[in-house]
Amino acid sequence: MEFNLSAESKLMIKAARDFAEQTIEPIAAKIDGDDAIPDDLLPKFAKAKMLGMMIPKEYGGTGSTALNMILITEELAKTASAVYWSMALNNSVAETICHWGSDDQKELFIPPLCDGSNYAAMAFTEPATGSDPAAITSTAHSDDDYYVLNGTKRFITNGQRKGYGIFYAKDETEKVTAFVVDKSSDGYTCSKPWALMGLGGQGLVDVFLKNVRVPKANILGEKGKGFNVLLRWIAGERVQQMAFMLGMGQACLEESLKYAKERIVKGRPMTHMQGFQWMLSEMHASIEACRWWTYRVASKQDEGDEIQVDSAALKLFIVPTIQEVARKALQIHGSYGYCKNYKIERLYRTIAHAGVTGSSTEIQKTLVGSYLARP
Amino acid sequence: MDIVICIKEVPETTEVPWDPEKGILIREGIPGILNPNDKNAIEAALQLTEKYGGVVTAISMGPAQTDDALREALSLGVDNAVLLTGRHLAGADTLATSYTLYLAVKKIGRFDIVLCGKESADGVTAQVGPQLAEFLDIPQLTYATNIEIVKGNFVRIKQKLEDGFRELESPLPALITVEREINNPRIPPMDHIMEAYRDKQVMVWTADDLGGQMERFGLKGSPTQCLKVYTQRIKKGKMQILEGDGSMVAKELVQILRKRNLT
Ligand SMILES: Cc1cc2nc3c(=O)[nH]c(=O)nc-3n(C[C@H](O)[C@H](O)[C@H](O)COP(=O)(O)OP(=O)(O)OC[C@H]3O[C@@H](n4cnc5c(N)ncnc54)[C@H](O)[C@@H]3O)c2cc1C
Repeated sequence: MEFNLSAESKLMIKAARDFAEQTIEPIAAKIDGDDAIPDDLLPKFAKAKMLGMMIPKEYGGTGSTALNMILITEELAKTASAVYWSMALNNSVAETICHWGSDDQKELFIPPLCDGSNYAAMAFTEPATGSDPAAITSTAHSDDDYYVLNGTKRFITNGQRKGYGIFYAKDETEKVTAFVVDKSSDGYTCSKPWALMGLGGQGLVDVFLKNVRVPKANILGEKGKGFNVLLRWIAGERVQQMAFMLGMGQACLEESLKYAKERIVKGRPMTHMQGFQWMLSEMHASIEACRWWTYRVASKQDEGDEIQVDSAALKLFIVPTIQEVARKALQIHGSYGYCKNYKIERLYRTIAHAGVTGSSTEIQKTLVGSYLARP
Repeated sequence: MDIVICIKEVPETTEVPWDPEKGILIREGIPGILNPNDKNAIEAALQLTEKYGGVVTAISMGPAQTDDALREALSLGVDNAVLLTGRHLAGADTLATSYTLYLAVKKIGRFDIVLCGKESADGVTAQVGPQLAEFLDIPQLTYATNIEIVKGNFVRIKQKLEDGFRELESPLPALITVEREINNPRIPPMDHIMEAYRDKQVMVWTADDLGGQMERFGLKGSPTQCLKVYTQRIKKGKMQILEGDGSMVAKELVQILRKRNLT
């Protein structure tokens, strides 16, 4: 059992930390407040070679591992900025296309995701359902060499930004198929972004598909087997999202320590009070548990193991654990923590997202529970 | 424009144990980082070679783990890396260090500029660069906040002094030490980090490879005698600010000092 990170991974962590501190952190509050990510930010990720971490070099990727993706995520997460999701989606969508796509699809769709000229999107949620993809109502009708897509997708990150997205719709056999859709197609329109509690700049829109013509060559994976594409993507994305939570949890602890060491209570720094020491130690222990389990699941992913159940169990553990870390961090900050001047306020709001996105914490319980109870 | 840069790995924390016998840091097992100031030297070298062409070679003296500092230099874009290591080199003070670096630079042979950080974060002497220039018998231009190549084979720097700046010019080859503010070091891209560890080589030279006199290396070659090592305790006391007319305040101050037997 090897618990040491390689020197290469450690240098990647350092590079990601420097990138986060120099490129994101100085504008993170502004991105959140303005609800807008500057256009030049994704190309900066591309230059740092962070957009195709798990993609072979021949398609413009970095050729690294799921574990290294998780390690750099942890560092980027400390900024609690929505820009992470643009980076994460380009990574996970490129990886999905790399896994399921034909050679032509890989050559066409992956390089623009790695070079930062395109924003990926992954669209499964609809107004009537997020947790039950079988209830999808978007349709795809065959017409010559094309499928014609109709329907509404809800809460689509980067639905309005230039590039390709993977969209799920039911074909004439009522089965769900995954399509790679050009977001500048005729008939493709978007709502204004939803105003979110946190993650300002996320660009979460509804997408309206009205007779959008998609070449049959853009079917990803097998026709009628879109669920396979979706479930595999969600499993990998869960691990990345948990690394995002882990990094934010670590930032909560670091902010709390900084604050508590300076804040004087009864003539001494708060850190002298046992009550606060206990809070800090519980936060630390929780984060360590989350960290090593996340690394473990990412390593399994690299070994080619199935991670559906592992990633679900990971999420159902980490979401409430890091939310409790954030709650403690807010308590330590007192009323200052409730003010926008303090970073903990942004961390707290951002950490709240994880239980209801991707797939909810309850769904993870169903997944793990049904696995354990299998005959 | 061939450049040799001297870089050092320093402990990541400020709480490093000391060996009271030898008066040196016990570095084993302490995670190291590339000396922050040396990142500026690397960046300066890369900017110069990007403009004028040439080869950048990084050298570092230290234990085997110094390999990581050199890999980082490679990931940033340095062409060659040389590790100077082995038991004969251990325990060196600034004199033995600059002697060792001098032999290494000599062995590399071709260079127009030798670049060093102004100082290391752990030793903070700012001596190695100037001493190395003396050994090499080339001009030294210290505390640079800007470097320009002028008239083909002259270098001009803006030197930071305590109370201002001055411009210095010298023919090449020359040695330059750089300040933190000279540039903003780049961050290595992920693929270059992988290449640095997988595809590139760090050459390893020991005292035997360098030639030179054995008694001038490492602890043996270090005349610096460290008598005692201790952590300065900063006493905290009450602060008193005297306000009012200057001459009155001065009198009051003298009285206070007298009362405490401090005059
Ligand atoms: C910041 C953000 C980014 C997002 N990005 C995207 C995106 O890029 N693409 C995309 O497609 N979607 C995206 N979403 C949408 C998100 O993934 C869905 O909203 C989420 O999957 C939950 O779906 P829902 O809101 O329809 O909840 P519902 O499915 O209506 O569920 C409501 C509640 O009921 C519970 N529940 C539902 N079914 C079950 C069950 N079978 N057993 C137990 N409990 C159940 C859920 O856990 C939940 O708590 C994003 C959302 C947010 C907030």
